[in-house]
Amino acid sequence: MLVSALIIFAVFLLIFGLVVFFDVRKAKKHNQKYHFGRAVTAFLLLLPATLFAFFFVLLPILYSLGYGFTDYYLTKPNATEFVGFDNFKAAFEEIAEGGDLAKAIKNTAIFVVVVVPLQIGLALLLALFCNNKNRGTVIFKVCFFAPVTVSLAVTAYLWKEILTGSETGLMNQFLALFGIPAQDFLRNDDTAMLWIVVASAWQGCGFQMLIFLSALTGIRKELYEAARMDGCNAFQRFLRVTLPGLKPTLVYIVITVFIGACRIMVQPYLMINVYADRNITISYYMYEQVFTSYRVGYSSAVAFLMTIFIGTITLIQRKFLGEKKR
Amino acid sequence: MREKRVRELIQNEDVKIVKKPSKSIYGKIIYYIAGICISLIFIFPILYMLAASTKTMEEIARDAGSIMMFIPNFSNFGHILDNYKEIFNEDYNVGRYALNSLIYALITIVLNVLINGLAAYAISKLRFPGKRFFNFIIMFLIIVPVESSIIPLYTICKQLLGLSGKLSVLAIIMPASISIFNIFLFVQFFSSIPKEFEEAARMDGANTLKIFFKVILPLSKPIIATVAVFCFIGVWNDYLWPKMVLGTNEDMLPIQTALTTIQTADDVTTGKIMASLVVTTIPIFAVYVAAQKYIVKGFGTGGLKL
Repeated sequence: MLVSALIIFAVFLLIFGLVVFFDVRKAKKHNQKYHFGRAVTAFLLLLPATLFAFFFVLLPILYSLGYGFTDYYLTKPNATEFVGFDNFKAAFEEIAEGGDLAKAIKNTAIFVVVVVPLQIGLALLLALFCNNKNRGTVIFKVCFFAPVTVSLAVTAYLWKEILTGSETGLMNQFLALFGIPAQDFLRNDDTAMLWIVVASAWQGCGFQMLIFLSALTGIRKELYEAARMDGCNAFQRFLRVTLPGLKPTLVYIVITVFIGACRIMVQPYLMINVYADRNITISYYMYEQVFTSYRVGYSSAVAFLMTIFIGTITLIQRKFLGEKKR
Repeated sequence: MREKRVRELIQNEDVKIVKKPSKSIYGKIIYYIAGICISLIFIFPILYMLAASTKTMEEIARDAGSIMMFIPNFSNFGHILDNYKEIFNEDYNVGRYALNSLIYALITIVLNVLINGLAAYAISKLRFPGKRFFNFIIMFLIIVPVESSIIPLYTICKQLLGLSGKLSVLAIIMPASISIFNIFLFVQFFSSIPKEFEEAARMDGANTLKIFFKVILPLSKPIIATVAVFCFIGVWNDYLWPKMVLGTNEDMLPIQTALTTIQTADDVTTGKIMASLVVTTIPIFAVYVAAQKYIVKGFGTGGLKL
């Protein structure tokens, strides 16, 4: 690995050297000069950031493309060899056989398909609800936003405690009011994923609400006045004025929520991993492949496929939602 | 209706004077009742967390099914903080974990501002050959989507830092200290600082580093605050990365990851779990309340991340 890192670094330096060379020559042509001491200072100032960025940003990106084609084993990094498309073949076979990866994809798909519209719709409704000058809406906003301050791990443990199977659990107490017997929500494979959706939407939608709110205040009041005078009712005003005004924000939010949802891992990992190994997600699967089977190469191949998939969907979303170039 | 409005408009001429039709009182009452109901749905888990953190197992069972579930245990006021006292003692050591998180976050913030700030200063204020190269790299790294670089990042850290013993702390701090996006933010902000400040300082014989620390940084408080707040939230809330790199080094775990350890302790009760969750959440809540202004600003720039 170190060898490849050194090679990449050398290429990096070479390109930089060339750019410097051409810059200096260009300056000479125009009878300008670089202040030598100041240039050295600039390089020194840039050095720590460059080293950090090289090792912790650039190299991981390049390796995430490359690892998938090798048989990198976590415990034997020095015995790594190039294996072509073997990992990808293995991944597709796993899917075709209906193995863990297929289940992970199914679970992630269920999560994404439910959580994206739910969370964004909820955020939009809350934003519309708060977007007026009534007294006290600030308190509502604070309440809707409060869950955002709760971290993913805390969200997972809090909801795990609320949804606990015993009769003293909060949700079971609530159901008992209606005479419904105690349920074990998270142990039930059919409902576990949906409760994770609820917990995630609860934690996340306040954030999107805030973004929607700032976008709503940017829509000009005159447009509403004009629409009202043309006889539009509230729903029509929403459809013809609010939605077009929110479109750029909506595109941004749909894409970010979608990407975040595809990467879901912490909640299922903390909430249901103890109960049902069937409810894994793609990220969770990749994590397991690295840390229990040590198959870094294979895991990276799955990651590669996921990146391509997310990238494609994001492009389609942009096209579909018609984002204009900023 | 429309004719009436038009007549009003003609009479008043100025559009702004036209009053909106005032909502009926019933509408307002319905609005507030709906608002309170939705708010309660949103904060009931938090209320439950706070209330249960003050109770013993028996008290939680006793209050079950009544509104008392959401109200802290005021009847037994002397023992209201018992769970908190217990999780801070040696068996649970929450204080230690919280301190770990705090230290990691603070070091990361300082490094983040220094490393990214210095680089951004060089790019935005100094003239040197090869600047195009850095500008290009920054734009490239901002645009490229990074979905799954966490696995290679882990293997790199493992090879580079060993990830055993005390040194694995570096793996938490160092990758978090570089943020291309923060460099981008700093560059934008520094570019808006007029040249005259620098030139005046240079006249007075200050060198480049001195100008950065004495002139540029004091002028950049808003952007430093934004970066610091997001850095703090990011490091404090991270669960997975510390779990990956610290593994079994129990003493060095940050609080989020340590929650798992607390959960599996021998004599843990719902009350103690809830107390540890409250302790984990309070600093972030405080940061959100104290730094509202900067967070909203960060949201504004967040749109650029695409």
